[in-house]
Amino acid sequence: MKPKVAFFDFAGCEGCQLTILDCEDLFLDLLERVDIVEFREALSETAPRFDVAFIEGSIHREEDAERLREIRSRSTLLVTLGACAGLGNVQARSNFLSPATNFRRVYGEEELNRVQADPEFWPLWAHTRVRSVKEVVPVDYELRGCPVVAEEFLHLVKSLVVGTVPHVPTVAVCVECKMQENECVFDRGETCLGQITYGGCKAVCIGHGYRCDGCRGLLPQANLEAHRQLLRDKGLDESRILERYRLFGSAEAWGRERRP
Amino acid sequence: MGAFLVRKAAVTEWIRSLAREQPLFFPQPVGRSGFRFQPLREGSEVRFDHYRPSVVPPGRQLTPAGEVLFRYRTGEGGVPGFESVLDASPRILAGVRPCDLRGIYLMDRVNREGRDDPHYLTRRANTAIIACDCLAPCDDFCFCETVGSLRWREGADLFLTSVDGDFLVEALTPLGESLLPGTGFARCEDVAGLRARAEEVRVRPFGRHFALSPERIAAILPGLWRSPVWENCGQRCLSCGSCNLVCPTCYCFDIQDDFDISDPSSGDRRRNWDGCLLPNFAEVAGGHNFRPQPSARQRHRVKRKFEYLVGRLAEGSFCVGCGRCGRQCTVGIDIFDIVSELVAVAEPPP
Ligand code: SF4
Ligand code: SF4
Repeated sequence: MKPKVAFFDFAGCEGCQLTILDCEDLFLDLLERVDIVEFREALSETAPRFDVAFIEGSIHREEDAERLREIRSRSTLLVTLGACAGLGNVQARSNFLSPATNFRRVYGEEELNRVQADPEFWPLWAHTRVRSVKEVVPVDYELRGCPVVAEEFLHLVKSLVVGTVPHVPTVAVCVECKMQENECVFDRGETCLGQITYGGCKAVCIGHGYRCDGCRGLLPQANLEAHRQLLRDKGLDESRILERYRLFGSAEAWGRERRP
Repeated sequence: MGAFLVRKAAVTEWIRSLAREQPLFFPQPVGRSGFRFQPLREGSEVRFDHYRPSVVPPGRQLTPAGEVLFRYRTGEGGVPGFESVLDASPRILAGVRPCDLRGIYLMDRVNREGRDDPHYLTRRANTAIIACDCLAPCDDFCFCETVGSLRWREGADLFLTSVDGDFLVEALTPLGESLLPGTGFARCEDVAGLRARAEEVRVRPFGRHFALSPERIAAILPGLWRSPVWENCGQRCLSCGSCNLVCPTCYCFDIQDDFDISDPSSGDRRRNWDGCLLPNFAEVAGGHNFRPQPSARQRHRVKRKFEYLVGRLAEGSFCVGCGRCGRQCTVGIDIFDIVSELVAVAEPPP
């Protein structure tokens, strides 16, 4: 029997699911091996149980957390797709503001007054806290990146189908930079988070002239102390450094730490 | 073998014409300060004078990242069939500097030690190398002379030396000779005189120098297992692995299998670059890691380059002094500094 696979989205742009749908030829081969039973981007069916649930998006409200727990209870394996599900992504920066301040920044004073006075207007505006999936339920595998890398998705699915251990890179983005023979961002006179960030992205941002902002998450062995000192030496002040660390990883330890 | 004295413009033209016949990798600028050995195309620049060591060394062309080693297919009755993948396509590496030439020479030795590595050796046998001398250090990171790479020539098929604006072109092997017909280069008789002339203008001393010879460094290293120097650089190290991956004599790899999604009974085995500074490098089945601390990994790297391999293959130094690891380490850990500190501790200056 073909394994049943389902996709669910929470708060996110659905770019990860589109990335997967985008590799059309591979996707068709994949359909030979698995049954996709739930996928809002592509179908409307649903099933009571699945072998692998892919979760996209961060968890904002308690009702989202409930839905996630329910999905977890129906699935043998659970895999996060991308930085929203994995790290909370950029939206988790709102965790450092009160919901009212955040709302005012985005919609203005008038709307804030209205949302606070009128319970019918937007009942769930004051969500609790932006959480990554692993803060709510156990996660078996994480596909990293904003968005995910299609080849990594394919590799994971293939491994799960035949029952081998998927290869998950645990090395820095610098490794990818070297394989692509990129000029280091620091040699361009800028700063980079590549040394402390999970690789697997082929260093696309750097290859296209940008830097690494850490969308794949902080490596477990990252020497933050030394990296922070390096950024200081390059002229970044504490608040800039914190901003850089928090951009993608606010729900993670490195975003939360407040050490000066 | 022939030697020729050739105008710079004619050398450039000759390199270009070779590139029209087969892939010819020549260092070309990337970004502000980097270089990359890339196939020379019509319109690419051919310059010998403004080079700084490429991001990864030219020898990496012989072990490309992610190379396929073999393909497999399960046939009748579940019997697997294997098909080795060897790349015998001809290529030329041109503009290779003496440090990288020595790097390739050392990799030739490593890949012939014990069991031959057919993947490396097949590529190598079909690669011609046009090396080019350095008369001034590429930058402040260079220390090729002190480790014995500066005057290295073995492994090159042709060797170019700049002499008063022209090039002395020496064929060192029949393969090198075979790249010359049709050029009409004028033979030159006084090779020794021209080489002496180049030696005269060569910067002296050339680049940075250790206080001890590579042989002495190899001899003192065993006594420095507990030196505080390791911990010092371990604390600053980000474990990004860049120093390994840019090194001309780092050759460790990791193996991965992959199968075709359309036919899971067939697939391939690939190898990818790996490095001993990466945290999980020395992790084995069961999860034990032999070198969990960055300091232990730093020590391992230095001892590989200056002690272990040196002893095993009876070579002076496995570090070729190209300076890449120090140049590319973003926190400024430089193997030259590490070794200099160790030397200073072991044999303090009088
Ligand atoms: S650009 Fe960033 S990721 Fe690439 S080598 Fe430099 S620090 Fe590492
Ligand atoms: S390049 Fe520098 S920071 Fe990166 S692993 Fe090597 S020594 Fe450590």
